[in-house]
Amino acid sequence: MRNALKIATALAAGALVLAGCGSSSTPATPGGSENPSETSSAPTSDLKVGLAYDIGGRGDQSFNDAAARGLDKAKDEFGVQAQELEAQNGETDAQKEERLRTLADGGYNPIVAIGFAYSGPVGKVAKEYPDVNFAIVDDAANDLPNLANLVFAENEGSFLVGVIAAEASKSGNVGFIGGVNVPLIQKFQAGFDAGAKAQNSSIKLQDKYLTEPPDFGGFNDPAKGKTTAKGMYDKGTDVVFAAAGGSGSGVFEAAKAAGAWAIGVDSDQYLTAAPAVKDVILTSMIKKVDVAVYDFIKSVVDGSPLTGTTTFDLKNDGVGYSTSNPAVEPYTAKADEFAQKIISGEITVPTTP
Amino acid sequence: MTTQLQVPSPPPVGAVQEPTSRLARLATWQKLLMYGLAFLALLSLVRVVSGAAQLTSSGTAEAALIAAIPIGLAGLAGLWSERAGVVNIGLEGMMILGTFGAGWIGWQYGPWPGVVAAIGFGVFGGLIHAVATVTFGVDHIVSGVAINILGLGITQYLAGTFLTGTPGGGSKQSPPIANIGSVSVPGLPNALESIEDRQWFFVSDLAGIVRGLTTSVNYLTIIAIVLVIATFFVLWRTPFGLRLRSCGEAPYAAESLGVNVYLYKYVAVLISGALSGLGGAYLAIVAASNYRDGQTAGRGFIGLAAMIFGNWRPGGLAAGAGLFGYTDGLQLRDNTAVHALLLLAALLCLVGLVVLLIRRRWFGALLTAIFGAGALIWYLGTDTLPPQLTSATPYVTTLVVLALASQRLRMPKADGLIYRRGAGH
Repeated sequence: MRNALKIATALAAGALVLAGCGSSSTPATPGGSENPSETSSAPTSDLKVGLAYDIGGRGDQSFNDAAARGLDKAKDEFGVQAQELEAQNGETDAQKEERLRTLADGGYNPIVAIGFAYSGPVGKVAKEYPDVNFAIVDDAANDLPNLANLVFAENEGSFLVGVIAAEASKSGNVGFIGGVNVPLIQKFQAGFDAGAKAQNSSIKLQDKYLTEPPDFGGFNDPAKGKTTAKGMYDKGTDVVFAAAGGSGSGVFEAAKAAGAWAIGVDSDQYLTAAPAVKDVILTSMIKKVDVAVYDFIKSVVDGSPLTGTTTFDLKNDGVGYSTSNPAVEPYTAKADEFAQKIISGEITVPTTP
Repeated sequence: MTTQLQVPSPPPVGAVQEPTSRLARLATWQKLLMYGLAFLALLSLVRVVSGAAQLTSSGTAEAALIAAIPIGLAGLAGLWSERAGVVNIGLEGMMILGTFGAGWIGWQYGPWPGVVAAIGFGVFGGLIHAVATVTFGVDHIVSGVAINILGLGITQYLAGTFLTGTPGGGSKQSPPIANIGSVSVPGLPNALESIEDRQWFFVSDLAGIVRGLTTSVNYLTIIAIVLVIATFFVLWRTPFGLRLRSCGEAPYAAESLGVNVYLYKYVAVLISGALSGLGGAYLAIVAASNYRDGQTAGRGFIGLAAMIFGNWRPGGLAAGAGLFGYTDGLQLRDNTAVHALLLLAALLCLVGLVVLLIRRRWFGALLTAIFGAGALIWYLGTDTLPPQLTSATPYVTTLVVLALASQRLRMPKADGLIYRRGAGH
């Protein structure tokens, strides 16, 4: 009896892992099935693009969706074929390597890995397949001739929304909610804090990361986002920047309940959020992952694949903030002023908080 | 193991016997109330010393309740199933089914139809488990694991099919679900708020917690609490409950007395599925306001742990879920308050030390003194805890309490055993 209980506990953990394997291929949409007819008039390329998503995958309304948009644009314009696979929470590097090898063995070239979690795996697999062009978004740890590192200056975009937050805050108290406490998300916080302080040196800053690695559930837990945001609003914050992927929807709910502002991330969330909550999204820190993915595929189509590290920052319009919510209008002048200073090099935005 | 640990309690010496017997004369609820108030006094002391107002604020109490209830409902689901002798580690999968049911129906037709759909999806998961384990005698663990995989896979497939292109939703999440509505005790919140703001010792803390638990309480929260109490009365105070529990303790004895063991196991596992589904509905509708792929994040397993923590009893599992919910709500709301919990740990060790010294348990007293001193030094020597530890607070706390309490746990005797009618001789 006691054995059964022990087995139960051991298998409970195993179940999560198995759940990951079991379904990793289920939701992967075979390339083109969503827009089957649009390629008819477009030029057809014999390129087969492999895309490996981070946790969340296509449909996450955030980071991965931006990558998917870039891929869709490339599909429309160049007629490339694509295979999309996605990661699951709690999987190991070995599973990610296997995913990349599956794509490479299937004749997919180029292969794009979305997310810093692929850093180790892509470095390893790219060496094994020197004839295949790889790209990784959000990581620059590897330096290989057949690998393009597509990275963003999230700190610069976050700086601008920090300026807007500080300006919009009546209480002089702004908050930051990060999905998972990893260096990439810390970059968002560093920029946001610096921007808020640049605008108002006496501003009070609150910050919280929903989970700690290796638990990446913080990107997918709106309940935690809502509780944390409510805690911040209770303590006097009136603007919260959520760099927390899918947990952001909980932050928006809390903002709506508190009658306060929230700031979205990665995509323009004022446009993608539900009508009931969109009005609380003052602006969003935009990170043009779609442009990065599209540019990379285009470079392969053109016959001169990108390699080395390409940084998408304010200067080349790779990051920024959204102005689709009219409420942000009064604050854009100041933000643009700071943007110019960052572009000219007058201000250097820190990358760690 | 169990008996060994009970032996050392020494034969009562005259001086010791007096207070114990006075305590023994009190009813259980009086004892619980006494312990509760004493604990609150300690907590209040910690708040005054550390200045961490969030320890007992109304917001924390509310967050604790919201974090505790999905776990409590999952634990209750496990309780029903395991009391009838069916181990249910498929709670997580049934909960995932519930979150999807609530999100898919809830955003279109409102929260209440969403709750019904969530329960329906949960019952579906329960039905699979019941058919596999009760009818076909599949190993309970194997079936439970299968349901966890199946629940995730089915919902991801259905979400891709039914939620893609919805306003504000997509293949990974549903559009927001409307608020289910809540109720406050009339007049109370305002009065309590003014007391809470005074920051008086004990009084303000009590006011804060009571305010958090009585202000805009969600209807689903009330239903969940009623279900915990109802479970106790149904399982321990009715013939139906006695028969159901007998299926988990000694199914062949129950069979010899004419109980239809298969039927009772089916009923228990279906109720288990319904409660898991309701837990998923609570998570999606109240805690989060939408369905999101992966939002259960292991809460089904934590519910299972809360059930074991509570010794397969509703009151105990509610305490376990409450402890987890409190620490989780606290760490999400305030990092510094978690640091103050070190001081609380030191004070609790002090109380434990006194009790152990009176009982002349020298070794235990020494250990407690060491741990208490460690916690105190840690508290005084630092201002904050590393964020890794803060996030792990609910797990660490539950683990510590479980480790201290687990020696007296007793699971239903025939839990997890495969029952075949007429095979008892």
